[in-house]
Amino acid sequence: MNAAGAAGGSPAGATKDAPSAAHGVARAEHEVGERIDRGVDPSTRARFGRLVSDNRVGLVLLIVVLAVVIGSARPMFWNANFVLGPMLTTVAIYTVVGLAQMTVLSVGQMNLAVGGMAATGAMASAIAFDRLGVSLPVGILVGILVGAAIGALCGVLVAKAGVNSFVVTLAMSFALLGLVPAVYAWVSTGAAISADVEGLDLLGRGRTSDLCLGDVCGPAGIPLLVILAIVVMAVVGFLFARTRFGREVLLTGSNQRAALLSAVPVDRRVISVHALSGGLAALAGIMLGASTGSFTPAIGQEFMLQSFLGPILGGTLLVGGYVSVLGTFLGITLTVLIRQGLMLFGVGIEGLNILLGSVLLLALCTDRIRTVMSQRSRLRASLAPVPVAGAAAPEGASPSTAGAER
Amino acid sequence: MSARIAELLRRQTTTLALVVVAGVAVLAIQSGGEFLAPISVTTFFEFLAIPIVIGLAQMATLAVGQMNLAVGSIGGFAACLAGVLAADLGLPGWLAGLAAVLVGLVAGVLNGVIVVLTQINGFVVTLATMTILAGAQYALVGTRTITSASWAGLQSLGDLRPLGIPLIFWFAVVLAVALSAAYRHLLPAREMLASGGNPLAATLSGISNSRALITAHGLSGLLCGIAALLVMVSLPGVNKSIGGDWLLASFAAPIIGGVSLTGGSVAVLGTVLAATIVRLVDSARAAFQLDPSWVNLVIGAVVLGTVALDRFRSRAPRAAAPTTTGPVPRRPVVEGAAS
Repeated sequence: MNAAGAAGGSPAGATKDAPSAAHGVARAEHEVGERIDRGVDPSTRARFGRLVSDNRVGLVLLIVVLAVVIGSARPMFWNANFVLGPMLTTVAIYTVVGLAQMTVLSVGQMNLAVGGMAATGAMASAIAFDRLGVSLPVGILVGILVGAAIGALCGVLVAKAGVNSFVVTLAMSFALLGLVPAVYAWVSTGAAISADVEGLDLLGRGRTSDLCLGDVCGPAGIPLLVILAIVVMAVVGFLFARTRFGREVLLTGSNQRAALLSAVPVDRRVISVHALSGGLAALAGIMLGASTGSFTPAIGQEFMLQSFLGPILGGTLLVGGYVSVLGTFLGITLTVLIRQGLMLFGVGIEGLNILLGSVLLLALCTDRIRTVMSQRSRLRASLAPVPVAGAAAPEGASPSTAGAER
Repeated sequence: MSARIAELLRRQTTTLALVVVAGVAVLAIQSGGEFLAPISVTTFFEFLAIPIVIGLAQMATLAVGQMNLAVGSIGGFAACLAGVLAADLGLPGWLAGLAAVLVGLVAGVLNGVIVVLTQINGFVVTLATMTILAGAQYALVGTRTITSASWAGLQSLGDLRPLGIPLIFWFAVVLAVALSAAYRHLLPAREMLASGGNPLAATLSGISNSRALITAHGLSGLLCGIAALLVMVSLPGVNKSIGGDWLLASFAAPIIGGVSLTGGSVAVLGTVLAATIVRLVDSARAAFQLDPSWVNLVIGAVVLGTVALDRFRSRAPRAAAPTTTGPVPRRPVVEGAAS
């Protein structure tokens, strides 16, 4: 699974230099990912090239163009109460789901139980609200902790038993798929819990216009959940870009053996990454429950495809070692926008599915084309023989070859 | 000889067979013998054929270290397309059934080609095709159910009961035996196992990994298409929900059956036995009148336990290897790859 990330990648992440420090979280995490074509001479031209090749720029352009096209064809799109607001709520929830997947992808693994963990976390919160009568923050914390505990269990199985993360999380998702409806049926009569806690409604359905400081109120149309998602993005981004933990995780994903030899506690990092993923998924489930007002076993059913779409469109590598928080957000925004647009044009649910699947395939193909192109140009520039190892493509070439490119 | 018996006892298939026997015994006692009555035996086997075939479909991709999330949607799409062909275009039943099988094959080959071209994890590729095909299936039939009256001739096969056991179950058994033989003797199948066991060694031995991947995905799709055919034969009709619940069953059977998830091995008998166990759990669920979600919980837990145990088991014999070495292969169908 961690075939690709090679020697060149590891030090680039660890020895990030000072000049880029001021560029903020997004910039910094970009630097982490620059392990492949990190130029020796950061001239303006190279920077421009990097800007163009950065798929996040493309995503922003695509989102803007799509929004303008949809908005001009269907002016209803700009309706803050019925279209834009709910759409932003969806973006907020799916972004957190995407981040949950992204954290696991960072070590080259995956979490197929995002939906199940979301459902379980939401269920735990709902039970805490409904049965134990706890306050809002405590209930949310309970849900997140339950999600994190399930994630940690997966992580332990992956790291200690050495089982493929795919299988562990798949089996876990099946177990949760059975557990959640059973518990709901046991705890409540109608297989749904409508938690009635002070502040939950405001969190789920409130908008910035509900937040007033004296006479000054926030702009209408932006749901509070968006702010929560931004906070989560900032925290996760900070974690990966600025902390030792994040670096060690990325190094683990880039080259597990190198990480082990560099005294990174690989097993512990894998476990904590899975726990983090579980916690984030649970938070997303709680957000969904809060936004609809009722907690049901159906929470999280649509999470899996979205959770992969966001990070992959945003440029997060499936093999690990590189993440993009902002890219995940943009990828999610794009897919939600496409969904919304199609719905406004009256395309049915089957069309949505076909299209979203196609988008994922297309993203995979472009990703592949990009990789092949960069490999070819590197090959041409360096004239160095590239090992012919089918599966283990030489993603990260040695530092010397990367340098020779420019 | 005693080593041979010890080997037999340690085999996963032996454990699975014992579990099957124990499960049948428990159910028979619980129902006061009713479980062994002809009518319930027929029902039991009737709903076992499709899980076996989709378990084998998943096994085919696991053999090359890949996975096929699209088993359910390939099968569902193929069944619905065949239904539409028979009902709306008036195709004869057998032709529609053949179309279902072919559609499955084509979808599987496409999966394989995309995996080879993009070099992306088969999991993500099949996630995408799963979504696309599920959407296409819904687009085809919408909310309507096409009854099997449109392919009455084909459907009448489902009523045949040689030896009191449904024909489709015999068919699934024949399919499993054929697959087992193929994985032992046929060159393309051996190449798939070699490629799954060690791609680099396979390349060095002159085996094309790309071809192995495409063959494996194609075989998986073909089996999904056959499962769709069995759906047409055995169920009263097709609608959008066909295939929706196949994913868990397809993974549970090979994983519990002892197929290595990293590729390079298959266990046809284990897969069939594991599918039987899953079916037994479902029967028990019905007998004790529990909520259907309990089946998922139990199967998920069993899969998790198997995976963890398998790890434990594969570590333990290695330490004791010198005492048990002999000409006996570790698993019936499984033999080490080319390396």
